[in-house]
Amino acid sequence: MLTSLYVEGQTWFHRAPVRAKLIALLALSIALFATNSPLLLLPAFLLCGGLYFSLGLTLRQAFARVGVVFFTILVLAVVNLFLIPVPDVLALVLRLMALVLFAAAVTATTTIGAFMDEVTVLLRPLERLGLVRAADVSLALGLVLRFVPDIFARYQAIREAHRARGVPIRPLTIIGPLIILTLKDADTIAAAIDARGFRRQ
Amino acid sequence: MDIRLTDCSVRFGDREALHPLTLALGERRIGIIGLNGSGKTTFARLINGLVKPTTGRVEVNGLDTVKDDRAVLAEAGFIFQNPQHQLIMPIVSDDIAFGLKNRGLPAKEISLRTEAVLARFGVSHLARRRVHELSGGETQLVAMASVVVTGPKILILDEPTNQLDLRNRRMVADTIEALDEDTIVITHDLGLVERVERLLLFHEGRLIADGSPGETIRYYHEVAGC
Repeated sequence: MLTSLYVEGQTWFHRAPVRAKLIALLALSIALFATNSPLLLLPAFLLCGGLYFSLGLTLRQAFARVGVVFFTILVLAVVNLFLIPVPDVLALVLRLMALVLFAAAVTATTTIGAFMDEVTVLLRPLERLGLVRAADVSLALGLVLRFVPDIFARYQAIREAHRARGVPIRPLTIIGPLIILTLKDADTIAAAIDARGFRRQ
Repeated sequence: MDIRLTDCSVRFGDREALHPLTLALGERRIGIIGLNGSGKTTFARLINGLVKPTTGRVEVNGLDTVKDDRAVLAEAGFIFQNPQHQLIMPIVSDDIAFGLKNRGLPAKEISLRTEAVLARFGVSHLARRRVHELSGGETQLVAMASVVVTGPKILILDEPTNQLDLRNRRMVADTIEALDEDTIVITHDLGLVERVERLLLFHEGRLIADGSPGETIRYYHEVAGC
């Protein structure tokens, strides 16, 4: 989640414009699928890895962020060993890992505010066509990132309340109060957005 | 501040949340107290246009809360009972900038004003922090900063010391007292309204006392039966 993955820093990649980073990510994801040669994909993987590990993260933090995805890629690779030739499996692993490393580098160096501003700008052409309201999409994205931790905290509180009262924890008895409490808060949050002048201009 | 309510009432379905009321408020520091469900918050929301009057009219510094609702929201900032709900963006500085971006200000000015307001509230060190990780006192200060940054002339604070420990309560109370903006404080914390210029007491949707803090608080104890 972008909320928790941004890392303070002054590296050149931190300073790079968000749009350039997003375009580079898009271009890389297309380019990596244009070849199936491990010899070409290996340098890309090493470059992305070098970039990611130069951002000021400790090794532990760096691996923690991508560990689960890498594990999934390795499981996928093992399954594919039985289906396709080894060089193709190697290409698959290098391609996906390179992409994950580059995406993780973009995430670690882009604040949510900058990301939202860029989303708003990128959606402007669609807004001119009357398809979306760019600021609404950007706000929705921000709200999701902002309130996911709150909803998770509320979920934990309801679980603890169940335990404290000796009530067995069942998904159905938790989801009900969670939805009701979240909707109740949504009213206040909507009022707050209004009070903060969204669309006032 | 210049707030005028003329024969104003609020009804939610069958329930009369606020009985017809005519009132003028001109002091710089105003407090509102009352038991739970007495109509305090409804009254406060009425003032900045978040709640529309069922009958009558409300004017804030000459602006009608129904006809000029957007202008009223800019004139009277509102700090909610649970400030966590008020912080909309995930990162503190992004949240402070939110209200300014909505006004279409240039990026440079947004950045300068954000830094200035964080410094004014003594929370510059929180600029890059995630809002869900802030303590109660920090959340309240950031919520105030996020509203003040847009330059409202009046600040309405709904139970600003709710759920704060003694130290944070003191810190928030001192900050409110030092504000340049006119304030209306709705609270159960009687210490917070001891020095206001005018204190209103609501009970069952009616304004039942309006005067100095000493008299009004004494009457409140009688009403509450304790």
